[in-house]
Formats: sequence, structure tokens, C-alpha cells
Amino acid sequence: MVSTKLYTAIYAVLFVSATVQVLVEFAGLSYWLAFGVIMVLSAAKAVLVAAYFQHLRFEPRSLTYLVGIGLVAALALTLAASYSLL
Amino acid sequence: MTDASPGGDAAADGGHEVARGGDDHDFPGTGSIKRWFVTTNHKDVGILYIVTSLFFLVLGGVLAWLMRIQLLAPRALGEGILAPVAYNQAVSAHGLLMVFWFLSPFAFGFANYVVPLQLGAKDLAFPRLNALSYWLYLFSGILFGVSFFQGGTFSGGWTMYAPLNVPTFTPDVGASTAVLALVLFVASVTVSSVNFLTTMHRMRAEGLTLRNVPLFSWTILLTAWMMLFAFAALLAALLVLSSDRLLGTTYFAMESPAGALLWTHLFWFFGHPEVYIVFFPALGVMAEVFQTFPGRRIVGRKWFILAMVLVAIQSFAVWMHHMFLTSINLQVKTLFMITTIGISLPFDLMVFALIYTMLKGKIRFTTPFLFVFGALLLFIIGGITGVFLGAVVLDYEFRGTYWVVAHFHYVMVGGVTALVGGLYYWFPKMTGRMYDEFLGKLHFAVYFVGFNLLYFPLFVAWETPRRVFDYAPELAPWHQLATVGGFVLGLSFLIMFYNLFKSAFVGDPAPDNPWEYATTAEWAVSSPPPLENFDGTPTYRDGHLEFIDDGEVAPSEERSGGPTGAAVSDGGVTASATRAVTADAELPTAEATEVEGPSHASIWPFVLSAGAFLVLLGLSPLQDAAFPEGMVGAAYATTAVAGGVVTLGSLVAMGLEPFHGPVFEEGEAWPFAGIDNGKVGMWIFLASDVVLFGGFLGAYVFTRVAFGWTGWEPIPSDPIPGLVNTYILLTSSFTVVLALVAAEKKHKWGLVTSLGATFVLGIGFLVNKGLEWQHLFHEGLWLSTNVRASTFFLTTGLHAAHVIAGLVVALYLTARAWRGAYLEDSRSVEYFGLYWHFVDIVWLFLFPLFYIL
Repeated sequence: MVSTKLYTAIYAVLFVSATVQVLVEFAGLSYWLAFGVIMVLSAAKAVLVAAYFQHLRFEPRSLTYLVGIGLVAALALTLAASYSLL
Repeated sequence: MTDASPGGDAAADGGHEVARGGDDHDFPGTGSIKRWFVTTNHKDVGILYIVTSLFFLVLGGVLAWLMRIQLLAPRALGEGILAPVAYNQAVSAHGLLMVFWFLSPFAFGFANYVVPLQLGAKDLAFPRLNALSYWLYLFSGILFGVSFFQGGTFSGGWTMYAPLNVPTFTPDVGASTAVLALVLFVASVTVSSVNFLTTMHRMRAEGLTLRNVPLFSWTILLTAWMMLFAFAALLAALLVLSSDRLLGTTYFAMESPAGALLWTHLFWFFGHPEVYIVFFPALGVMAEVFQTFPGRRIVGRKWFILAMVLVAIQSFAVWMHHMFLTSINLQVKTLFMITTIGISLPFDLMVFALIYTMLKGKIRFTTPFLFVFGALLLFIIGGITGVFLGAVVLDYEFRGTYWVVAHFHYVMVGGVTALVGGLYYWFPKMTGRMYDEFLGKLHFAVYFVGFNLLYFPLFVAWETPRRVFDYAPELAPWHQLATVGGFVLGLSFLIMFYNLFKSAFVGDPAPDNPWEYATTAEWAVSSPPPLENFDGTPTYRDGHLEFIDDGEVAPSEERSGGPTGAAVSDGGVTASATRAVTADAELPTAEATEVEGPSHASIWPFVLSAGAFLVLLGLSPLQDAAFPEGMVGAAYATTAVAGGVVTLGSLVAMGLEPFHGPVFEEGEAWPFAGIDNGKVGMWIFLASDVVLFGGFLGAYVFTRVAFGWTGWEPIPSDPIPGLVNTYILLTSSFTVVLALVAAEKKHKWGLVTSLGATFVLGIGFLVNKGLEWQHLFHEGLWLSTNVRASTFFLTTGLHAAHVIAGLVVALYLTARAWRGAYLEDSRSVEYFGLYWHFVDIVWLFLFPLFYIL
């Protein structure tokens, strides 16, 4: 498993990147660029939490796929429904 | 199922019932009423499901009769036996009851009874959760029944289209109650899906790889997967609807951008998989019976399974064919027409496989075979008429007519036909007695004539508009024919009830296998099977079913309680085998690792469900987040509070109750080998929760796109409180990690402190959020201000509800840890952490979407 030190480091990274998200908003970037950066940061944080705090990295890959299927279903609904309006 | 003393079974199972005045001793026989309230055995639960679902069949059927009587002639308002709103209620309740409270539970009655037997398991992975599924189902049905007496039940059709589904158009309290009843039903389905998926992936007998699993079990496996994701989307839809009705949010209100369209997306994303969810088990029965009575193994078995897997996946990509007449764009309609026509192809393969199997065999026309053969014919008609509806241009003409009604009744009731065949097929196994073959065949003849007399004229009279009781007078003869057919079909069930009821007591005793050429494992045990299914451990090691004496394998594994005695080849698998003993519930009371025989009795699933029933009943009259004035409102509020106390109390009681799930011998566990049942169950649940939040976020994104993405400002003008909450949640996630580390190091106070810190941080999160909301309320913003405010309050509110649920568990864990728990076995802490981190992850997306972007 992972040492407490690594957990602490990950916690620090999460903490800082949450702050960065808000700073990006005030950095005066164009809306969609800021949108992209902020969502990528959220996704990266989510991956860190899932991989280490939920230790998916150290589990059989099937659990990751399981969550991935749920994610694909949710995204399919969101994207296809939104597209149907355009 | 056995009247033979359960204690004897436990003794035969290794004689370790001595340790405790265990549940086995308290487990009453089948003749006792008490047995049916406390049982957690899968066979008992299966029978409860079947009997209850048949009750709802009768209820839904009587409503259908009322409609058919009304339709004997085209009526003006006020004519006929039903008042206009009563007719609408009958139509809506008939649809909801038949689809939700009859069809799926009827199929899952068989699933409960048969699947563990076919897998070689002693029970489902989480027996108490299985009982919980049943009781939630029963109480959700009762809640639906209550809705008729609260001014009238829901009257907007079973599809509950917006904006008819909001109080502006359906103001009765009963309409809200019907929606809440569905919420409770979905809770039952979710618990059941998690349980079946864990069981079917983790608890197959040695050598029983997925490829070799019997076809009925295959259909249930795929059904459970579809249920897990589809019902999560329905839950999102229903929670949003409940909030619109009870709290006053405005997602589906007329003035919200694309509110009506949002409902159709959420509903049909669930609704189309639902078609296969109700049909697949019927297909499984067909596959079993089509093998047994022609005496042939199914032709192209591998391809049959592959076709089903394809359908299960593709079922999530066809939903917009229910929306061809809405304002969705032409490109997406075309795309969904293609996927829809495409999904009919795997079905062609399955139909031909069944026909060819039949042709290659030597058919014996027993009652079960007649029913599934009839079902195949009906399904072919239903399927072909559905292809018409899948074509965009034809649907422009057919939509909202009786063509649709006739089509889906051929499909759905075609499925029922197969399931009735399944009831005759497994009746000897369940009761130990044979039914009367002549009466069975008579039932089939009357049923089949009645069915076609009822539904075929509806194709002819297709120009009748759906859901109304007025139609062109020249169509009246067809409707009269259909009404006659309705009564023939309904009354044919009297023959079945008489036959089965009588035979259950005085029928000829059934042998283990009354059907020559039936090959699945349920026929290898006695009729009915013993309480724990098998006398030995079933194995398919040598390519066929065998039973190994329990003495050879079980004791060394079971008594070890730790890694010492379990030093069999692969550590991972064996460890999970010993652990699985206690792995009931999402958060097992893990310290009870001393091993005993499996338990079969718990009253708490019943009490918990009753509590949930009271909560929802109590909340039903809410409008704009307020109870009605006066005594009535006070009575409802009291009911809700009392229900809450009962629910919470029974959850704690269930957590503390010593209960042992089935002893799990080493077997096939792809793809979750080496992971605890409890952990697999938790992750499966979380995957469905991903879809639940996906539905909420999808609703938000969709509404915002309809509104104009960049014209939409975040509700909180200041992101800082949100950022502070992000910090708090991240920190609480970290403390949960520390708690697990402390537990693994057997560091009691580290564990207590970390868990306590998590609890305090969670409270801090809620307080901060409360202050923020308070501030927004003072600014004049409320849930009903506009849809922008609605999405903000409801989505973050759902998240806060998850936090509160987590805090209840955190408090429980802290208290137990204080008394020294979790140091030997930290799994409860770990599973709680999985949930808590998930809630954290959700917030990582809510924060930017609702506060900064």
C-alpha cells in the first residue's frame, strides 16, 4: 500500500489545485479556455482521489472499469441530451 | 422451504451452531406466520415476491377491466362507469402497477428462487439486503395503494410527462404519493441489483465460468446490470420530480427552458432499458424451457449470449426513439433511428436460435412449453410492429395511437406469457407438488385466445387516440371485441389460481426432476430444496455438476478466522472466502469474525421498510416545502418524524445485529476475484450513484444549454464559501484515509480521533453550507425563484444529503471504534471511506460548475 507521506503529499496537491481553480477564474482568460482548464483540474483531482484515497490503483482493474461504465452512461445521457437541443 | 428442522441443516453444515443461541434456533418453519416476516432465505423471498406480484397483477388487471368497460363505446365526458379523471387515474395506475409492481418483481421472484441454485450458492451475497428489497417493494406498493385515497392517485399517464406531472396540473396529494412510492420502489430495485450482481459475479461454484452459466441466470445477470444503471437515472428523474412537487423547484414547470424535454430524456434513458429489463427474464425462461421440452441444448449458445450482451449495452443508446415528435433535432433522430433498427438484429438471432432448437428436438407439449411457445409467437408480432415505430416517418403517424398500445402489450404481455410458463415450470420445484396438467393446458388455451382477442383488434383500431375514451364510432366493434378478450384473458387466471392453489396442497408429489432433459442445477436437488440448497459443496470442476462432502473443504477454511489456517494456494481468494462469512450489508459489523452457520432470520428489513414507508407518507402533502395547515399537516409531519426514528433505529439495530451471510466456498468470481463481497457491493452501488449524480448534473447541463450556456450566472456571487467547503471536504477525505491507516496499525486512539475529525469536518461543511444558503435566502433567492436557483439548491442539496448520510455512518463508526472495534478487521472503515471519497469527488465537480463557471 501507500505510505502516509504520499497520502499527505496528495492531500497537499488537491488543496493547492482547488485554490488554483478559483485563481484561474480571476486570471482574465477567455471563458472557454478557463472552462477547459478548470474542468481538467477537477478531473485530475477526481482521478487522484479515486486512484489513491479509494486505492483503485491497487485493486483489480475490473473495479475501475465498473466505475468507468457508470461514468460513460452518465456522460452519454448528458452529452446526447444536450446535443439534441442544438 | 424445508419443514425439516433448520437446526438439523445447520448441524449438517459443520456443526458450528453451538457458539451462540443463533438465529437458526429462532427460525420458524414455513407454516408459521412469523417465518415470513423474518426470513432472509432466497427461496422464501422468491415466493414472497411471486405471491405479492400476483396480487398487483390482479389489481392492475381490475383497473384494465374498468378501462375496457369504459371503452365499450366511444364516450363523451361523464358517460360510462368512470369519471374523466378516474379514467386517467386508471390508465396511469394500470401502467405503473403492471410495469413496476407486477412484471419485474414477478420475474425477480423466479430470479430469487432459481439463480442461487443455478449458481451453486447457498444464498445471495447479502441475505438481509435481499429481504430488505422485498419489504421495500411491498411497502412501495402499499404506498401506491394509499395514493388512491389522498384525493386521487397520479393521473398523468405512466410516462409521467412534464408539465402534466407538476402540481399545477395534477394537484392531488395522491399524485405526489404515487411519485414517492416509485422512489421507494427504485430503492428496492437498487438494493436488489447490487445484491444480485455481487452474488452472480462472486459466488459461482467452482468451474462454473460465466460462459457456462445457465441461460436464465444469464438473463438475470444482464437484467441486473441494466437495472443498476437505468434505475439510477429514473431515481434522478423521480427525485427532481419529487422536489418540483414537494419543495417547489421549477425544473419541469412550463416556464423553464426545455423542462418538458428534460423529463423525456431522463425518463426514456431509463425507460428503454426498462423494456429489456422486463423482457430479458422472460427470454431466460423461454431459453430454459425451449431446451428442456424439445430436449436439445440451445443452438448457437455462445451467439445467443453475445446477442443478449449486445442488446443490454445498446439499450442505453436508443432512448430518443420515444421522442421523435419532440423538438429534438433531425440529426439525432436519424442517429437514434439507426441504433433502434440495429437493436432488432440481435433479437432476430435469438428468435431463430429458439426456433431452430425447437425444430431439432422432439417437442413435448407440456403447459410450460405451450406458454413459452405462445410467448415466442406473440413476441415476434410485438417485435415486428415495433420496427414500424422505430422509423421516424412512420412514427409521426403512429405516435400516440393504439398502434403503440397494441405493440407494447404484445411485447410486455408476451413476456408475461413466458413468465407464466416459468411459473408452471418451477412450480414443482417450489412446492414439491405437480400442478394439474389438463387445467394448465386449458389455462393456456383460454389465455392465448383471450390475449389475441384483446390486443389484436387494437392494431386494427389503431387510429384510436391513446389515453382517451373517445374515438371514432366505426371503431366500436373492434373495441367491443377487445373488451371481451380482456375478460377472457383475465378470467383465464382463475383457472391458474385454482390449479396452483389446489395442487400446492394436494397435487402429486414432485420428484427432484420432473422434467426429463432439464439440466440446470436446481433440478439436481430435492423439491423443494433444503434450506441451504445443497448437502455438499457443488462443483463443476470436472465439467459436470458434483457435490463434494462439506467435511472435506469447509472446516479448515471456516474455522481459521484469520490467514493462518487458510494457507491454501492463492492467499487473495482464500482470504476473501473466509471474510465473506460476515460480509452482509454495506458496512458489516466486522468484529464478529468468529464463524458460525449462516443466519436466516432478521426482523429489521421489515421494520426499516415500514419506517421508510412512514417517512414518505408523512412527506407526501408537502407543497413549496410546507405542510398543510392545521391538524392534517401536523399528523403528516408527526408520521414523517416517527418514520424517521424507526428508519434510523432499525438501521442501527441492523448494524449491531450479529448476522452471518452464506459461507462462501472457493469458486468462480470473474471479474471480481480476490475482492471482498462487501467491497464489490459497495463499488457496484457507487457506480449506480455515479449515474444518479450524472442524471442531476445532466439535468443541469441540459437546462443550461437550453437557457444559453454563457448567459447563465452562478447563483452564489462569491465562490469563497464554496472554496472553503472544498478545503473542508478534502481534509475530511484525508482524515478518513488516516483513520484507515490507524485501524490497520491497530492504533485505537488514532482511529477514534481521525473518525471523530471526519465527523466534525462534515458538520463544518454543513454549517458553512447552511450559512451560505441562509445568506442567499436573505437575498431573496429561493428554490422556486427560477430554474437557475432550482438547479443550484437541489443539486448541492442532494450532495448535502449524501454528506448527512455519511455523517450518520461516521458517528456510528466513531462510537464503535471508541469501544474498540475495527482494529482486527478494518473493512467497515474502508468501505465507509470509499463512499466518503466518492462524495468528495462529486463536490470536486459541483464546486466549479455551480460556483465559478
